[in-house]
Amino acid sequence: MSARPGDAGGNGAGARGYRPHYLAHRVRNSLLTLGGLAVLLVVLLLVDGGASVKLKQVFALFAIWGIATVSLNLVNGVTGILSLGHHGFMLIGGYVTGLLVLPTATRDNLARSARSELSDFAMGLSVENWFRALGLDSLTTPETLWARFLVAVLIGGLMAALFGVVVGFPSLRLRGDYLAIVTFAFGEAIRLLASTPLMSSFTNGALGFAGVPSDIGKSVWWTFGFLAVTVFVMARLKYSSYGRALQGIREDEIASEAMGVNTAYHKVLAFAISAFFAGVAGGLWVSWVGTARLDLFLFFLTFYFLVAISVGGTGSITGVLLGTALVVWVRQYGDPLEQTYALSTWAVAAGLVLLAVAALAFFLRRVRRIKPDLGPVVYVPGALGLVAALVGLLGQGMPALQATWQGFGMRAITLALLLITIMILRPVGIMGRREFTWAWLFRERLDEPTEEERAQDAWLSNPALSGRAGAEREDDEVDA
Amino acid sequence: MAASAVVPRRRPWALWLVVLGGLGLITWRMLYLHGVNEAFNAAFFAGAVVRSLQLGSLYALIALGYTMVYGIIRLINFAHGEVFMVGAFAAYFLFSRTPFSWPVALLVAAAIAFGVLQFLNFWRGRARDPIVLAGALVVFAVVAFALASTQLGWFWAMVASMFVTGVLGMTIDRVAYRPLRGAPRNSMLITAIAVSFFLQNFGILAFSNRQTPFRPASFFTGPLQFQVFGEPLFTSWMIVLVPSVTAVLVVALTLFVTRTRLGKAMRATAQDAETARMMGVNVDRVIATTFLLGSMLAAAAGVLWGMTFGSINQPAIFGILPGIKAFAAAVIGGIGSLPGAVVGGVLLGFLENFLTALFPRTEYFSGITEYKDTFAFLAMIVILLVRPSGIVGEDLSEKV
Repeated sequence: MSARPGDAGGNGAGARGYRPHYLAHRVRNSLLTLGGLAVLLVVLLLVDGGASVKLKQVFALFAIWGIATVSLNLVNGVTGILSLGHHGFMLIGGYVTGLLVLPTATRDNLARSARSELSDFAMGLSVENWFRALGLDSLTTPETLWARFLVAVLIGGLMAALFGVVVGFPSLRLRGDYLAIVTFAFGEAIRLLASTPLMSSFTNGALGFAGVPSDIGKSVWWTFGFLAVTVFVMARLKYSSYGRALQGIREDEIASEAMGVNTAYHKVLAFAISAFFAGVAGGLWVSWVGTARLDLFLFFLTFYFLVAISVGGTGSITGVLLGTALVVWVRQYGDPLEQTYALSTWAVAAGLVLLAVAALAFFLRRVRRIKPDLGPVVYVPGALGLVAALVGLLGQGMPALQATWQGFGMRAITLALLLITIMILRPVGIMGRREFTWAWLFRERLDEPTEEERAQDAWLSNPALSGRAGAEREDDEVDA
Repeated sequence: MAASAVVPRRRPWALWLVVLGGLGLITWRMLYLHGVNEAFNAAFFAGAVVRSLQLGSLYALIALGYTMVYGIIRLINFAHGEVFMVGAFAAYFLFSRTPFSWPVALLVAAAIAFGVLQFLNFWRGRARDPIVLAGALVVFAVVAFALASTQLGWFWAMVASMFVTGVLGMTIDRVAYRPLRGAPRNSMLITAIAVSFFLQNFGILAFSNRQTPFRPASFFTGPLQFQVFGEPLFTSWMIVLVPSVTAVLVVALTLFVTRTRLGKAMRATAQDAETARMMGVNVDRVIATTFLLGSMLAAAAGVLWGMTFGSINQPAIFGILPGIKAFAAAVIGGIGSLPGAVVGGVLLGFLENFLTALFPRTEYFSGITEYKDTFAFLAMIVILLVRPSGIVGEDLSEKV
């Protein structure tokens, strides 16, 4: 393997990030980046100013789940450890943030309510009170909610990071799917423990508590601000020496340990950082919903993030954001899938999907030159789809098929099928491990050698030279 | 890379010490509780024991499916809990909605007959044996007629549901897992999670998302009362039925794995799939068989679960907790080992029920019932950290 500075880790990113060698390209890329940011700002301005409430919420949700997916990507994609306990970290961050920013009026109501299990101690935990005690009365008004929210979300993130360290410790002894199951068990255990009498003085048991202010969680500016910070930190981290170490652990843990990487430290660090941002996302998520409830933090959250990461591109921050957009789109605009239709309509739809599967399989077998063209992968779904579509079309008059059926759960089914398809056809996801860069857009080679390297190469490949340099060169080629 | 090999000192007495010490502690605790409150008498603890055994048998049945699949293709079949859920719901529809209309009866009978076809293939050499085909055709006719004409009892509903669910398991393997043979294990696990999620939501779509009463007319759900040291214990015949059905199925599975050609092929594949393939074993068929058998056991567990508790939970969540707990049981016993799954399942049953009975709600203590769902996870984490190969499992440490 040729180890040029512009080609480390196989993802086209050099030690200097994505800096191309030519000044013109650099200037162009900077301008394009600025332009892109400007476009994003304009879009956000438009969304915030003129768009419908729903669109605003969708944008905010994209940003919140983007924080969660990008942070999960640090463990799942960059470090290569399949972590399934992200919803547990989000729960911790969400409940801590929700409790700390709960307005005083809501607290009084809860304290008077007979059904509330929240203890007086938990009710006293309020950033507002702390600011008062510190004499910062100007930060306790409704207009300065953001200050209290920032403090609360920071504390929530730190609490989640603490649990991230705890969950990270099994990663020192376990590998692969065992570790995945343990992270899953931790995530579920956190949720189950939160509803027990032990914790219900803080979480109010299964009821949870409503009245968490939604101003921050539904504000496009705040959520995208948090997302920007997260993406910035994650991108810087990915190309720092820490990120290199994490990618080394993903590629070969034993080899990176042999190269002097402290794998234990780095794995726990990855879990802690990931959990911190998951806690932040959890705080924003509770604020977006306005309620801290246990059923907000079921495994479906982690599943959605897993879909976003796997479909978008495992390890690629831009790919993960793309996947998040897809998931949020299906979830927020997939209502037509869950409407009530006649059974004949459902049959036709299912038939068309199966026929599409058959066509895709046929096409792929042709492209990949797998013989015969018409394997069972093609004709079984094809025949089933044909039958279903025909039954749906021809049987429209039949009373049995005129019964209606509501498509509960169709959005999740769509996402699950999408994930299975992606896993079978392209396990690394749409973007793979590449990031979206301008250089990639213009199809430039990032590992193009500089003049200096060209000169070195010419010198090294000079047959007149003999001895060590030439020998090393040969070794290189044998290796590659 | 060879890790520095640490030869553990042999301490054969240590296990006995732990077991006897544990039993002593338990007896002491029981006597103490009896002294505190007369309600904690022999019948109370006997009830806890039989209920633990009952729950443990259910976990064992589910855990067998996990452990068989893991032993053969090293995949944590995340969807197994959902297969269990589908088994329970299929049985529910089979005993509560029969007689079916003719088209439905034919469809269901086709699925059952396909399962029977695969099942009969275990004892026959060739895949398309005329005798087997004829048998499956007869089954198809009989089952279709039965489904369209009479109401099934719980037993036949269970048997039919086992075959339907077995076909489901094979389909999952064929559609989702087989294209990924040889893929990175994380990809396979993510696919399994996706299948699990698909089945949960398919359950919502197909069965409506609410708790379903599960009360087939049966002698076994009736009350059973007996005396323990003069104290009456009120329970139901299910405490007899569940462990017996489990025992029968486990013995049948063991006989299959040890005595038949396909069972031998299964063991060979578990040991080394590549070599088994070279020796002429049809590995894909062995894997399909594994899914068929594991799913059948899960379906039986689903029916027994429903009859034990009288209702089955919403399809979206019914499979999750039993599934993950049974997986924990498989890990505790030693994943990849059949006796391990049974031992782990029964142990987990005792951990959940008997431990809760040992620390009941008293006037000084609020009890640990609310926490019992987390025991399985904690036990699994502890086992994985202390002895990753499980109680009876062989060493499965990752080779480099």
